Amino acid sequence: MSEVRIPYEAKEKDLKVMHVGAVPAEERPKAALELLGEMLKYKRSLKLYLDVCTHCGACAEQCHSYLGTKDPYNMPVARVELVRRVYKKFFAPGRSFLRAWEGAKDIDQETIDLWYKYFYQCNQCRRCAIFCPKGIDTAEVTIAMRELLAHLGLVTKFHAGIVKNMKTTGNNMGTPLPAILDGIEFLEEELKEETGLDIKIPVDMEGAEVLFNPSSSDLFTNTDGFMSVAKIFHKAGVSWTLSSRIAETANFGLFFHEPTMREHNMKLMNAGKDLGVKRIVAGECGHGWRTWRMFTDTINGPLPFPVVHLFEEVLDYMRDGRIQFDKTRNPELITYHDPCNYGRGGDLMDQPREILRACVQNFVETTPTKEYSYCCGGGSGILMDEAMEIRMALGQPKAESVRATGAEILCAPCAICKAQLPVVMNHHKVDVKVKGLSDLMGRALIL
Amino acid sequence: MADLIVNGQAIPLDEDGFLEDTELWNEEVAKALALTEDVPELTEEHWKVINYLRDYFAKFGVAPMVRKLCKDTGCDLKTIYELFPSGPAKGACKIAGLLKPTGCV
Repeated sequence: MSEVRIPYEAKEKDLKVMHVGAVPAEERPKAALELLGEMLKYKRSLKLYLDVCTHCGACAEQCHSYLGTKDPYNMPVARVELVRRVYKKFFAPGRSFLRAWEGAKDIDQETIDLWYKYFYQCNQCRRCAIFCPKGIDTAEVTIAMRELLAHLGLVTKFHAGIVKNMKTTGNNMGTPLPAILDGIEFLEEELKEETGLDIKIPVDMEGAEVLFNPSSSDLFTNTDGFMSVAKIFHKAGVSWTLSSRIAETANFGLFFHEPTMREHNMKLMNAGKDLGVKRIVAGECGHGWRTWRMFTDTINGPLPFPVVHLFEEVLDYMRDGRIQFDKTRNPELITYHDPCNYGRGGDLMDQPREILRACVQNFVETTPTKEYSYCCGGGSGILMDEAMEIRMALGQPKAESVRATGAEILCAPCAICKAQLPVVMNHHKVDVKVKGLSDLMGRALIL
Repeated sequence: MADLIVNGQAIPLDEDGFLEDTELWNEEVAKALALTEDVPELTEEHWKVINYLRDYFAKFGVAPMVRKLCKDTGCDLKTIYELFPSGPAKGACKIAGLLKPTGCV
């Protein structure tokens, strides 16, 4: 290839871990057509979404990707049209002259280049689906098309690297167990220094009630949040453990490769079974949560135990009176960012707000909010450095909605959002600190 | 990305400007990498961070958690960003010849 694509493509050797090979460029159009045909047989949602769009355009101005980049291909209707036109030509029912009138188009290498480019500028946030009168969910189309691209050997270097790390170490960052254990020992010392208490972070404790599955970035950059979780379990008197086999709630398979999602699910299920826990508690991660809540039981189930979110677990402790918060310890003006996969994909909007009401003094909502909230611009793993310019454009609508609140702290309880939003806010000159909800709970917790 | 030329030797870099082969790191390479990160000169304070990262990497094969880096070197995060403008996971790790931390960071 003469031109470097953004995001960078994974090299062929890095695809082996996903058991896909690179299809030579000249054979891709034919192979893509076959793959699309196969997908249409088992993905009814894809076929439906390609059939029912009336091109009304209600989605266009609701998509942060279009609002931020002003690139017409980033209107959800136009993004999906990149596939729809091929679908119309080869698969849709109807007479052929009508198909041409409807914009049916042959498939060529340029089509595939456009797919790679624009399906990696969609954050799979699902906001368009809220506004579409037909209920078309572009995220589903993006997921399907990225899956198709993966079968052609077209995966981003970033996503492929994470799959490889997950397989070799059980976490996206690729942190080997000795480093995790070293970090945990250090955090126990930090907890002792801060609280004077012996707050343990158990690993592989058989028979523990809870297996807590954090994001691996909680053990690298977001340690305040992780330490807060340890404090909460300690105070609530709940026996909990981490697993040495998996420390990752982010499941990148959801974004582009179902077999990877399935394998990741299985790893966590088996870890939970072998430790004999009563439930798994998922840490702060939007899409990971959507996966556990919406897909795991269907794809890998039935599960022998529930998978609950940390916020649901904490609400139980609050209602039972096992923990209390002192909200005066969070006196700043605080606003909340709904991670897309909590608000629009994981039934988790009121729970974090109930916790916030208990542990912060001054809360302000953004406009729009809840299921109408804008994506951070990093969703679906668009976190690679080479896409920084696009990422900043994707985050622009969110930045403006946060600026308008005047908040000092932006609570964003998702690892991707926590990686993306500080850069976005800095770029768009919004003076706000980004923190997880765990961080705020930890500050307010009465130990 | 184009190779890094150090004393006439070509050192291959990946697309993100990190060393392709971490074994090829030495102090001269660090100085050349520093220039790619807008760090014109490596001071004693820079070396304290670089050496810590290298020791940790030699032992564990990855970068340490940022909190541990700060605690053990005595440099708070603000200082790290002053020394390495693109931060601990990017600039500091790159100059120290580590692999690029990836994931939700």
